[in-house]
Amino acid sequence: MYQENDVRQMVRQALGELLAAQATASDAEPVLAPAAETAAGPAGGWTPERTAVEEGFAPDVTAISTKDEFHVPKPENREGYLAMKQSTVGRLGVWRAGPRYNTWSMLHFRADHATAQDAVFTDVPEEFVQQQGFVAGQSLATSKDEFLTRPDLGRKLNDETKALFARELPKNAKVTIMVADGLSSAAMVNIPDIVPAIKQGLKSYNIEVGPIPFVKYGRVGTMDDLGELISSEVVCLLIGERPGLATGESMSAYMAYQPSPERPESWRTVVSNIYSGGTPPAEAGAHVATIIKKILDSKVSGVELSL
Amino acid sequence: MSHNSGRDVLLSVGIDIGTSTTQVIFSHITIQDMSSGFSVPRFEIIDKQIVYLGGIHTTPLLSPSRIDMAAVRDIVAGEYDLAGVDRTTIGTGAVVITGETARKENANDVVHHLSDFAGDFVVAAAGPELESVIAGRGAGADVFSKDHSTTVVNYDVGGGTSNLAMFDRGRLVAVTCLDIGGRLIRVDRDRETVSYIAPKIKELCLAEGIRLREGDRADVPTLRRVCTAMTRLLEMSLGLTPKSPFFPRIRTEEDKDIVLPGIPSHICVSGGVADQIYRDQPEPDVFRYGDIGILLGQSIRESQAIARIARIVPNQTIRATVVGAGTHIAEISGSTIEYDESLLPVKNVPILKLNPAEEASPTAMCAAIGEKLEWFRLDGELQLVAIAFTGPRSPSFKQVGQLAQAIMEGAAPLLAAGFPLIIISENDLAKVLGQAVRAALPGQRGFICIDAVSVASGDYVDIGTPTAKGRVLPVVVKTLLFR
Repeated sequence: MYQENDVRQMVRQALGELLAAQATASDAEPVLAPAAETAAGPAGGWTPERTAVEEGFAPDVTAISTKDEFHVPKPENREGYLAMKQSTVGRLGVWRAGPRYNTWSMLHFRADHATAQDAVFTDVPEEFVQQQGFVAGQSLATSKDEFLTRPDLGRKLNDETKALFARELPKNAKVTIMVADGLSSAAMVNIPDIVPAIKQGLKSYNIEVGPIPFVKYGRVGTMDDLGELISSEVVCLLIGERPGLATGESMSAYMAYQPSPERPESWRTVVSNIYSGGTPPAEAGAHVATIIKKILDSKVSGVELSL
Repeated sequence: MSHNSGRDVLLSVGIDIGTSTTQVIFSHITIQDMSSGFSVPRFEIIDKQIVYLGGIHTTPLLSPSRIDMAAVRDIVAGEYDLAGVDRTTIGTGAVVITGETARKENANDVVHHLSDFAGDFVVAAAGPELESVIAGRGAGADVFSKDHSTTVVNYDVGGGTSNLAMFDRGRLVAVTCLDIGGRLIRVDRDRETVSYIAPKIKELCLAEGIRLREGDRADVPTLRRVCTAMTRLLEMSLGLTPKSPFFPRIRTEEDKDIVLPGIPSHICVSGGVADQIYRDQPEPDVFRYGDIGILLGQSIRESQAIARIARIVPNQTIRATVVGAGTHIAEISGSTIEYDESLLPVKNVPILKLNPAEEASPTAMCAAIGEKLEWFRLDGELQLVAIAFTGPRSPSFKQVGQLAQAIMEGAAPLLAAGFPLIIISENDLAKVLGQAVRAALPGQRGFICIDAVSVASGDYVDIGTPTAKGRVLPVVVKTLLFR
């Protein structure tokens, strides 16, 4: 058995050798910035004499789309593989180190995951809500954390909001467009293109749309609350979708005829995957307008609506 | 939801009036919404099933330069009867006139007359390059190249022409047409003499130093020499051997040189001559069809140069062109579009295509449309044209408004002359653009605005009546009509 002192001695010796080797290496390495002088004296018996500070940075892993990224070193058919990759954002051809993926793939995955997290955890800026002229309200959730942990609260409007919406929004409107952050604030980027497209489409059917309510910490169920509150014939809710690893900007449009909390989920018609890489928001808005017209004409929505 | 209702089957007819044979096929083209039902519909052609293969009839001629229109029509009518098809049920299709037959005096009349006879939305098409493409698709070369991620050349060797189409992973990359075919020398079987030699083949014989004249004895070794010379020209077109000085003469469109983007990995041969290439035993009666088709097929089969390319078996041989015409001519538009049904169908509408510089800004676009419209004035009169462009990917709403404005201002003379606006975009924006146009068009002016269709300057387009519950329009892009 080694004595404790022997062990300490061995560790010290090994570390000393390692540090000496590193110091030599950094001396010989021209790309490293000059080492900063350490102000503090030796502490705990050992300290590196010089600290190497590198000014460089890793390339932005997200600058290249997963569709164009290809790391297989000796592909049988590079063009064929790349052509195949154009049909998916799946992480194909990322190669590996032993059974694991490479640092690059790991970083890209984490960067995409961070984008998704940002989309969920960021609040929609108040300036945006004002700029769009939305009538701003909130669900029963009082914070992002509560919103994420208590889905039931996200489905209901709070009393203050109910009063505000009842006051500010027209009753018995033919169509009400509403907006909610849902699980992606980043999806609000589609609003300036989809909303005017829906309005333009509806206008061709001689349908005018009133002020647009916005629900902070809102889930899909808030459209039922609103529909019941103001007796709108059709409500169309534009809401941020739960982000995946492909994009954080995807939006859905949920539509229902005379929505109310008594209706089943199957009463809603949805158009999903609305973003620049899916269905372009302006084109989706035009399509949504025609669906709204069909809902109005047939007085049903969801699975009962034949498109 | 949409995936329950979004399916439609179109009955399609293909009619090929070729140098040697006239054929008819019927097929079912299935269109289905491939979206999940929770997103915007996306209709695609998912299946093409041949439901009736007609007989192989000799193309009836009144004289060496005239097609017997009445006899052709009888053949076609007979096939409709045999198949039990009522022409009012035809959803789409094409009549093509190919090879040497396309150069007969009354070819234009015949093909247009037949397309009217065959059904409401049956297009007349012709042109050596279009022939190459449809034969290549009918043979299945495009699908093979896509499925195997490779390059495939299809050579459709018929009676009057040999049509080359090269596909790279499903995409067309090269086409050409040579005046080489099995019926360019005909043999009188009773008298065992050469009864006809096509003018260009006479030139070829002269260039090759082969003594052969009409009325000569049908001497197999001599005719084999002619076929070997023809095969060498095919080898040249494939980039396997250097081109001879005579090569440009044999191209159907002599001014159009052919350079393949590389030696193809695979070759398949379709057309009437192809059967000789794929059969196990050589045909013992070489003049069985009264021409040199069998000898030419054998010569291609024996070519050492062509054997360097892996040979695959086409889905169709003699019927490749008619199958291509019946199943591969029709496309469908995007699934979010705007149109006025009362305007449909429209036929033979010339394309005014904007180039990338012209669609870079609304001002440039407006000016370019105005300028290019003038090209379509016939005797000072404007004619109906379709305005086509690539269009921005995922445009902003503002951009769409500017686009609509630019198109309407540029096309003002067209609107003033009373023509409807027809807009064709490649990228997905037709519905929102159409609604913008509708909002800005004075009165109840009709228009058609479709996307997901790629056209080029000089093309013509036919747009059919709506299918799949009005979601999509069948579209045929014709690269060439008769010149």
